[in-house]
Amino acid sequence: MDLSIGPAAERLRDEFRTFFARKLPAGLAAKVRNGEPVAKEEHQHWHRILNEQGWLGTSWRKEWGGTGWGPLERFIYDEEYSAAWAPRANVPSIDLLGPVLIEFGTEAQKKTHLPRILNSDDWWCQGFSEPQAGSDLANLQMRAVRDGDVYVVNGTKLWTSWAHTANKIFCLVRTSVGGPKQAGISFLLIDMEQPGVTVSPILTLGGMHAVNEVRIEDVRVPVENLVGNEGDAWTISKFLLGHERLVGAWIGPSLALMGLLRERLLRPGYDGRPIGADPALRLKAAEVESDLMTLRYTAYRVLADELSGREPGPVVSVLKVRGSEIQQALTDLLMQTGGAEAMAHPFTLPDGRPVLASEEAHLAQQFFDKRKLTIYGGSAEIQRNIIARQIVGV
Amino acid sequence: MDFAYSEQQTQLKDSVDRFLTDRYDLRKRKALMGDAAGAEALWREMAELGWMGAAFSEADGGFAESALDAFAVMEAFGRRLMALPYLTSVVLCGDLLRHAPAADDLIASMIAGRLHLALAACGNTLLHSPHHGALDAKRDGAGHVLNGRMSVVLGADRADKLLVAARTAGADGERRGVTLFLADAGKVARRGFRMIDGLGAAEVEIDNLALGPDAVIGDPDEAVPLIEAALDRATVMACGEAVGSMSHLIPATAQHIRTREQYGAPLAKFQVLQHRMADAFIAAETARSAAYVAAIGLDGARDPATISSAKFQVGRSARLTAYQAVQLHGGMGVSEEVDIGHHYIRLTMIDRLFGDQSFHLRRYADLTQLGETA
Repeated sequence: MDLSIGPAAERLRDEFRTFFARKLPAGLAAKVRNGEPVAKEEHQHWHRILNEQGWLGTSWRKEWGGTGWGPLERFIYDEEYSAAWAPRANVPSIDLLGPVLIEFGTEAQKKTHLPRILNSDDWWCQGFSEPQAGSDLANLQMRAVRDGDVYVVNGTKLWTSWAHTANKIFCLVRTSVGGPKQAGISFLLIDMEQPGVTVSPILTLGGMHAVNEVRIEDVRVPVENLVGNEGDAWTISKFLLGHERLVGAWIGPSLALMGLLRERLLRPGYDGRPIGADPALRLKAAEVESDLMTLRYTAYRVLADELSGREPGPVVSVLKVRGSEIQQALTDLLMQTGGAEAMAHPFTLPDGRPVLASEEAHLAQQFFDKRKLTIYGGSAEIQRNIIARQIVGV
Repeated sequence: MDFAYSEQQTQLKDSVDRFLTDRYDLRKRKALMGDAAGAEALWREMAELGWMGAAFSEADGGFAESALDAFAVMEAFGRRLMALPYLTSVVLCGDLLRHAPAADDLIASMIAGRLHLALAACGNTLLHSPHHGALDAKRDGAGHVLNGRMSVVLGADRADKLLVAARTAGADGERRGVTLFLADAGKVARRGFRMIDGLGAAEVEIDNLALGPDAVIGDPDEAVPLIEAALDRATVMACGEAVGSMSHLIPATAQHIRTREQYGAPLAKFQVLQHRMADAFIAAETARSAAYVAAIGLDGARDPATISSAKFQVGRSARLTAYQAVQLHGGMGVSEEVDIGHHYIRLTMIDRLFGDQSFHLRRYADLTQLGETA
């Protein structure tokens, strides 16, 4: 057993740290740290800086403009990225669609779409969930019917993250009915800037606008926008899940939140003593930090398996379950370190400006926003089913 | 980055596991509790197989590549519910023996299986905070005279010698002023009994025991850091035992609910029980991660915060896993005839041993200055 990541990876970690310290705009980092909304233009500006450095396509092969990194480099990058409070956006394009196209796309699809993603011209969103297909994705109903050179697409996607800032959407669509449910699903690229595509906001707890309903009515999609063959979508989705198993542990973002919590515990509370002088709060913080360090080590075990080509097994679901719970616990404690200002609703002035220019203004909102983490991307219950299936064999 | 045991450690763990599977079951475990000679014979066999030497580095006369060797042995002990005092005698006292004047001979005897030790320290705490609860020592010429009573000394029932922490200066609670003495067990009054997990212990009463300067281990008045370091090491090894025990409980419980039928279906068909199994698995696997990292750390600079975090995690996970294993086994879980309940008891003991969850969580917060300015 050995915990070291080797001198090359250590050097890379330093390089990341230096780069973020020099190149990440301070105002942007402060917004992310405080949980304030970040405009699309600010994201694009930051992504162009990353792309200049060659560090945007972190899970892409070099020949397509990516970094060519393995899981270790990506993991370290993610930790440092979060520690610097760099904003995350356009994740479906960079971390999901990019790797899918590189693995399953045609040459034409790669040449058309990959450069536009790196250049931040295209922002893709992920159209998976539907009104009748949440965790049970195989039940999805969006239809794509072949008509000559096009598919005619009809249906509704729900909970689509950042559809309102995206110009394109990749959808799971049903191309055949009858037969096994999974076999009739295909992976289709759809331009959102055309008649028949309607995006409506869904506000989530705390007034966050992150998710949407996307209605698609009689939209004609060229057949060359099919990724892989008809019926391949299930295989592609599995590939995607394998790709993001370490990301679902939220190690980097949680380490950053823990740092913030430690700092806030030192600030004077209502009685002039440090907030962390409250023994109960202090022990809760110690527990969540211990949980986080332990999950980080569990992620290392999965990482070590990946590096040596072993299948990690059900421990991957442990990352997802605990990672989400730890994010919820951290934002809960952060909210508890805030005074009355933490509990204001941040966007309720008539002109839409923030209610309070305070570092605490978004603490409650952040807490409620994290509630979704044990629900989406395979709920905590689904993860427990997966674990049980593997260890009990039912 | 690698979390696999080395070849030597894998062989060691497998050989312990095989030997105990063949030679040590629940009935044998119980029988040996009333059979000192039988326990001694088994202990000697274990020594011949080299298990004691796994706790000592080559520099100290053993053959361990790293602390992970003993950790691997402890993991196998945990799986097989080993109830002989390897943890307190070989791991804990063995570590302290390295500071004894005649360390080489003593360690050689221990590796040969001919020396059992027990640590009388830390008052009534189940072995944490050695600056508290030391026995009384009065200077007498070049040596000391020891007095005092300790109601629970783990492993003292069959120990040949005792390591006794006694206060030679200062007051209870001060970090300086505790001295560690090596005393013949025959020179003190002992009343042996069993702990709730079946392992041996004794009440020890020391009445005007005169010890010369050659009985002092380490520097006079400076035993607290030595004992703390040995306790930290033993804490990690206890974590290894717990990880082994949990890795037995989970498949054993899975097997039980697959075969046990109620209401016309195997218990495993009930989703509520599936999710209990998943929760136990989550607990056990995260505890394993924490324990591995603490064990890897033993060979580097000592990092007590990581150890306390690991002990907290392992204690919490062990309690949850064992609680559910008993629950899912139903009546069989609370029967003395089935191993599940004995794992539950031993894991509960490990949770309390060397400091419980509250102790280690607070220690972690203190050591990392959580909520305090440096």
